[in-house]
Amino acid sequence: MGEKRDVLGLVLTLSSAVALMVALGMVFLYAPREATMGDVQRIFYFHVASAWVGFFAFFVTFLAGIGYLARGERRWDILALSSVEIGLTFIAMTVVTGSLWARPVWGTYWTWEPRLTISAVQLLIYVAYGMLRASVEGPERKARFAAVYGIVAFVTVPLSWFAIRWWRTIHPDVMTGGEGMAFTSRMGHTLLVSLVAFTLLYATLLRQRIKLERAADVLTRLRLRAQSIAK
Amino acid sequence: MSIPIYLVAAYAVFWAVTFVLVFSIWVRQRRLQQEIANLAARLGEPK
Amino acid sequence: MGFLIKVWAIVVKDVAAELHTREMVSAMLVFSVLSLLIFSFALDLRGAVAQAAGPGVLWATVAFAGTLGLSRSMAREQQSGCIDGLLLAPVDRSAIFFGKALGNLIFMAVLEIVLLPLFSALFDVPFLLPGVLLVVALGTLGYAAVGTLLASIAVNTRAREVMLPVLLLPLAVPLLIAAVQATGGLVEGASLGEVGGWLQLLVVYDLLVVAASMLTYNYVVEE
Repeated sequence: MGEKRDVLGLVLTLSSAVALMVALGMVFLYAPREATMGDVQRIFYFHVASAWVGFFAFFVTFLAGIGYLARGERRWDILALSSVEIGLTFIAMTVVTGSLWARPVWGTYWTWEPRLTISAVQLLIYVAYGMLRASVEGPERKARFAAVYGIVAFVTVPLSWFAIRWWRTIHPDVMTGGEGMAFTSRMGHTLLVSLVAFTLLYATLLRQRIKLERAADVLTRLRLRAQSIAK
Repeated sequence: MSIPIYLVAAYAVFWAVTFVLVFSIWVRQRRLQQEIANLAARLGEPK
Repeated sequence: MGFLIKVWAIVVKDVAAELHTREMVSAMLVFSVLSLLIFSFALDLRGAVAQAAGPGVLWATVAFAGTLGLSRSMAREQQSGCIDGLLLAPVDRSAIFFGKALGNLIFMAVLEIVLLPLFSALFDVPFLLPGVLLVVALGTLGYAAVGTLLASIAVNTRAREVMLPVLLLPLAVPLLIAAVQATGGLVEGASLGEVGGWLQLLVVYDLLVVAASMLTYNYVVEE
């Protein structure tokens, strides 16, 4: 297994590190102090960014599922499972940071506001996906079932989003500066940079996870060869 | 500005979780490389 | 035309098998009544509280009893080796899916025919309004469709039937929210127009989920 430089990986790592630093700087130095909530509101930027990645990662899994069913090639399955692992991490972050934001602002660790609720639902879908993979025997079957579940599950996510939104509206309406948060243009810039930074971070982690899985495949092949020689 | 504890906690969570994920991938990668090297050597494969 | 005949043949087969023993629907029924009891004790459902909780308890019960029925129906299919026979026969895979889904829909409908009057009486809530029946029909349709697909997957896992609720319930969130909201609105006197948004969501959900299930079912049963 060659030790050639992973240029793309390096570029991704560096750019996401830089972008995160910039985003962090903007969050604490550039973004204004919010009128009603104070500094605690600064959680918003990374909270929304991780929610975005959580959703996007599942979209990638959805596409990878279609790719696998269409082509039957292992690399689509690798993409799917890698994206799930990264996405699951980010959605968990979303839920935790959302909870930490809710506590000082609304006095409770949990509120059924749209973004938090949909993140919780996505978290459960991710977990279900993982449990499904763990419970199926045979790599081909595992990949196939996971692909099907990833596709059908993703189809329901936008519907869940609408349903939850209509069902509950305690959450501040970000765009029009509703009763919770007065949204300014500087906040918009900070949010945008955070989104970009997190997307780069996602891409970096995804690449590493894919490399890891490919290495695992190499090991499996070697093991099989060792076994057949031993016979 | 007074620094609310929840703000600190939230960003700590972000960094901690990211670090744990990165570390986890790194550790698994190392272990795999190790095992691959061992097996490859035993099988006399060219690396 | 031949397609519909095949679908119908599968439905008839499933229903006949169930009529023979009646074990599945009766189990679903008993479970539902027990579930109602538990909810009543757990939430101390009386009077106004009962009326407010009625739609939610109804749909929660239908959802849980539904997973029982779906699991059982698929497990029975696997036990009898029937699915292999069907797959070997020159039957279009989507016909098998529609047939099974329709069968499951019928079992759930039978359950609901008993549950709705029962719940109406117990909660003192008018669940038998035509609007509510429409909501129940739409909700059950979507649930049966995606449930049939996921049950086919679940039955092939190590955890078997236990896997189904884990897979199904997160996906049923939009359906359950819309169904409970629409039902709740209607029993409080809202017109169909007023709950129109929820109805639209249900219809869109059903369309998308039936399409997705039908298209991917092929890949679940190929062996």
